[in-house]
Amino acid sequence: MLESTALTGHHATSQATPRMPDRMTISAEPHIRSGQWEDALTYVAVNADKAAYAELFSYFAPRLKAFGMKMFGNEQQALEMVQDTMLNVWKKASLFDASRGCASTWIFTIARNVRFDMLRKKQSRKDDVSADDLWADGDYPEQEESASDKWETMLMSEKLAPHFDALPPAQRLVMQKVYIEEKSHQEVSDELDIPLGTVKSRIRLALDRLREALDDTRS
Amino acid sequence: MTHAVKFHPGMMLMEQYVEGTLAADVAIAVATHIDLCPHCQQLCQDLHNDKGAQLAELTPAVSNNAAEFADMLSFITSQAPELKAARKTDAESVTVTFNNREFKIPRALSRMAEQHGKWLQLGGIATAKLPAGEKLHVSLLYIDKGTEIPNHTHLGMELTLVLSGRICDENGEYGAGDLLINSPDDTHTPHTRVDEDCLCLSVLSAPLKFNKGLVRLLNPLQQFFY
Repeated sequence: MLESTALTGHHATSQATPRMPDRMTISAEPHIRSGQWEDALTYVAVNADKAAYAELFSYFAPRLKAFGMKMFGNEQQALEMVQDTMLNVWKKASLFDASRGCASTWIFTIARNVRFDMLRKKQSRKDDVSADDLWADGDYPEQEESASDKWETMLMSEKLAPHFDALPPAQRLVMQKVYIEEKSHQEVSDELDIPLGTVKSRIRLALDRLREALDDTRS
Repeated sequence: MTHAVKFHPGMMLMEQYVEGTLAADVAIAVATHIDLCPHCQQLCQDLHNDKGAQLAELTPAVSNNAAEFADMLSFITSQAPELKAARKTDAESVTVTFNNREFKIPRALSRMAEQHGKWLQLGGIATAKLPAGEKLHVSLLYIDKGTEIPNHTHLGMELTLVLSGRICDENGEYGAGDLLINSPDDTHTPHTRVDEDCLCLSVLSAPLKFNKGLVRLLNPLQQFFY
């Protein structure tokens, strides 16, 4: 009897507290201005601007550490990865090209390569596969948009519904806004506070996943 | 005529490749496929953008040591920035020559292919080992015109990327850039057409097992393909 009262009481309390909406919301931190990190990288590249770098550092270093903890499961290696990554960001900022992608994409690729080479270094084989072999420097020519267009018309097909629900939440949210709420890519970018390029990437990724679900040419 | 790539790595392989969590020997095949496939170049760029956005959206790690990041920051900014950092320059394109044929090698595979081992030939088939290979065996596989590789089963995973020319099996026809993945228990009899030879990158996790008739006698030679 007592137990059930306690349970009811607990239930009532939790109902009183405001609940998060069920739908996953994705937003950048409010004080981050769109284009801020790209600008900061430019200041670092042109003037070795320590203040701009310090802002980048204070945002990305703790996030890189979280990423490193996930990948290595070990604080010492995670911090080694953060330091090597952020050192590369400082030294090689002049290589960043905003026309090819966001600052976060560039920083991710540096961290990924640093981590890959840290893991391979232990084996210390000269002829071993390196990060430079595996990942091109983003030098591929631009593609036209047409490839995804023909799949867009298939989105209405009922066959796709179950696969649509299986999309990763971030991609599903963007797809829902574009195809169900019929918003423009720019509107979705503004509403979710994510770069336009990320909206487009997520749409293409979702379309690719749906295509994969429908045909088997991906092994 | 350019060949439209039809057989691509699955989304899961592509994601692991972009994350850097895919075994290096498999990743080298995926990277080479991407060099040959405009569709996957775009996909790869999109996946990078998505991973970058995910990094920016991570919850920052809590730190027990307040000075940890302050020390790191002052160490880094005490270093001299490279005002003219060198972009990776495209190395001269690498070619591999066999049977009086010269094959251009895609960027990702260039450094490996330059270090290929001696060609070992058996009938219309030849292989040369590449110095990748931790647990997997990575080699170039040349198949002359009008040649059949005897029907075989895979004791492990077989990953074949067509680099040049064309090869067919019971499931279809594969041209430059096409990636075939056969798992254990898949059986096939690949062959080339009478007028076209073929160069492939082959990644194997275990020797092949030949199934039919006299070619079963090849089984003691299976190391040849491995």
